[in-house]
Amino acid sequence: MTVRFGAIERPLPSVTALIGRRAWAILALLAFTLGAVRSAPAQAIEYQRPVETAPQQDAIGGGYKTPAVQKPLPRDYWLQVLDVVALAAMMGISVWLVLKRRSRRWLVAIAIGCLGYFGFYREGCICPIGSLQNVVVAIVDPRYSIPIVVTATFVLPLVVALFFGRAFCGGVCALGAIQELVVLKPVQVPRRLDRSLGLLKYVYLVTVILFAVKPALGRDFLICRFDPFVGFFRRTGTPHMLLLGGAFLVVGMFVGRPYCRYLCPYGGLLNWCARLARRGVTITPDRELDCGLCAGACPYGAIEQMRAVGRNCLYCARCYSSCPNDRELAHAKAGLVQLSGATPS
Amino acid sequence: MSEDLTRRDLFAKVARGTVLATLAGGAGFLVKKANGQVVWQVNASRCINSRLGEVGVEACNLCTTECVVALSAVRAVNEYSKCGRCNICPAYFNITSAVNAQGQPSEKLCPRDAIARKPIGKVDPEDPANNFYEYIIDEERCDGCGKCVMQCKDPLGLGSITLRVRYDKCVNCNSCSISRACPQHALMQLPVEQALQPVVLKRTG
Repeated sequence: MTVRFGAIERPLPSVTALIGRRAWAILALLAFTLGAVRSAPAQAIEYQRPVETAPQQDAIGGGYKTPAVQKPLPRDYWLQVLDVVALAAMMGISVWLVLKRRSRRWLVAIAIGCLGYFGFYREGCICPIGSLQNVVVAIVDPRYSIPIVVTATFVLPLVVALFFGRAFCGGVCALGAIQELVVLKPVQVPRRLDRSLGLLKYVYLVTVILFAVKPALGRDFLICRFDPFVGFFRRTGTPHMLLLGGAFLVVGMFVGRPYCRYLCPYGGLLNWCARLARRGVTITPDRELDCGLCAGACPYGAIEQMRAVGRNCLYCARCYSSCPNDRELAHAKAGLVQLSGATPS
Repeated sequence: MSEDLTRRDLFAKVARGTVLATLAGGAGFLVKKANGQVVWQVNASRCINSRLGEVGVEACNLCTTECVVALSAVRAVNEYSKCGRCNICPAYFNITSAVNAQGQPSEKLCPRDAIARKPIGKVDPEDPANNFYEYIIDEERCDGCGKCVMQCKDPLGLGSITLRVRYDKCVNCNSCSISRACPQHALMQLPVEQALQPVVLKRTG
């Protein structure tokens, strides 16, 4: 390829030659600047501290006022109390929605609200799951104490579970809510596998406690360190933890709430409290149908032989929303009545 | 059948009562023991950036890199009553940079330009040593890299700038990730009132 410069034809300089020439020029310039920078200290000032004591405002004069040092306080105590109240209120509303209204729609709203508040706004702290460690340390270490709000955060969901089942898990727990909202096409985990994987959370619970009761210097709070979702809540985190969180969410699309069912140590405690629950999610022949649709709709394997298993039930109310009792059935019943002209027995 | 059910119910009732009593007892124990919130704070006498005798060392920026909050909750704080209000502040200027026409170092030290320099009263150009300047740290911009802290201490400065935890940013982690990384173990948990006290630098070790 050639190009015409006036009357003379000559080959276009190759690209490499061009870059080469430029690179040399840049290198030369760099070397020059570097040399200049290195020689800079020679021209720097001879620094000596001009004063030995800080001049105070009366010495400075001219009506000078020393500015105040910024000392932002931690979150107000009444706001912390309000968080606990919000926790209790949300659990109360969840219980009412699920046990009385038998409706899922508003529960999703609770999950979104709690994820936004406890998760993204409060950045995942404090949560009952993590408070488990503080409670254990405070019981074991005489020099360690926790504020009353932390104790309340830990105890409240357990008490609720003792009476109504795991209402905390449904939509109030930020870690649960984020997984609840990504459930897309859940598969039924084979019961045997589900049970054995479920034992992992007790192993994790024991490990967490063992690490928490170590003497102060070697103490470690594993739940907080390996919380898979807190990185999302804080919009920052180490790459491997964000990846782990992402993996949990992707798996969570197909296996309902993997963290809650298989790893959450606090879930282990709630599980045992829910076994003793006075009331809980029930699938009854008089209010629901014994059609078994709910068993297929439950992403958490918490319906066995068409009955809800309180210890595994995560209060999502999918069973009720999948139940055809009020809508289609009422409709069908009405249709049948009209067709036969007889009253159904 | 019904008798079996009631026996089960009774068992559940007793067990529930026991668990409730345990929870209540545990909570009572913890509440009795509770003595307010503890928060993380930098012990300036340990922090390599502010502790005395550590001169000519590269500033440690672990507070910037290790904090779990996006822009570290640790910021440089100027205790104004201790500030020398120097004409040439070694924490504001990069005192190793070339002198410019005004006789000042030509570069600033802060990589985020978070320190503002403002003359106090009228400036007398004849007598630069008697002009005072106010150095205000924009804590919203500071990321706690500690460069200014390293410079603002004996023998260059008076040590008015130290690294402090800002409690509107700190999420008060159970185990602060800066404290895990800090080789000087400079982060410690203190009651709030104690953590807000002004810094008193003591020589350690």
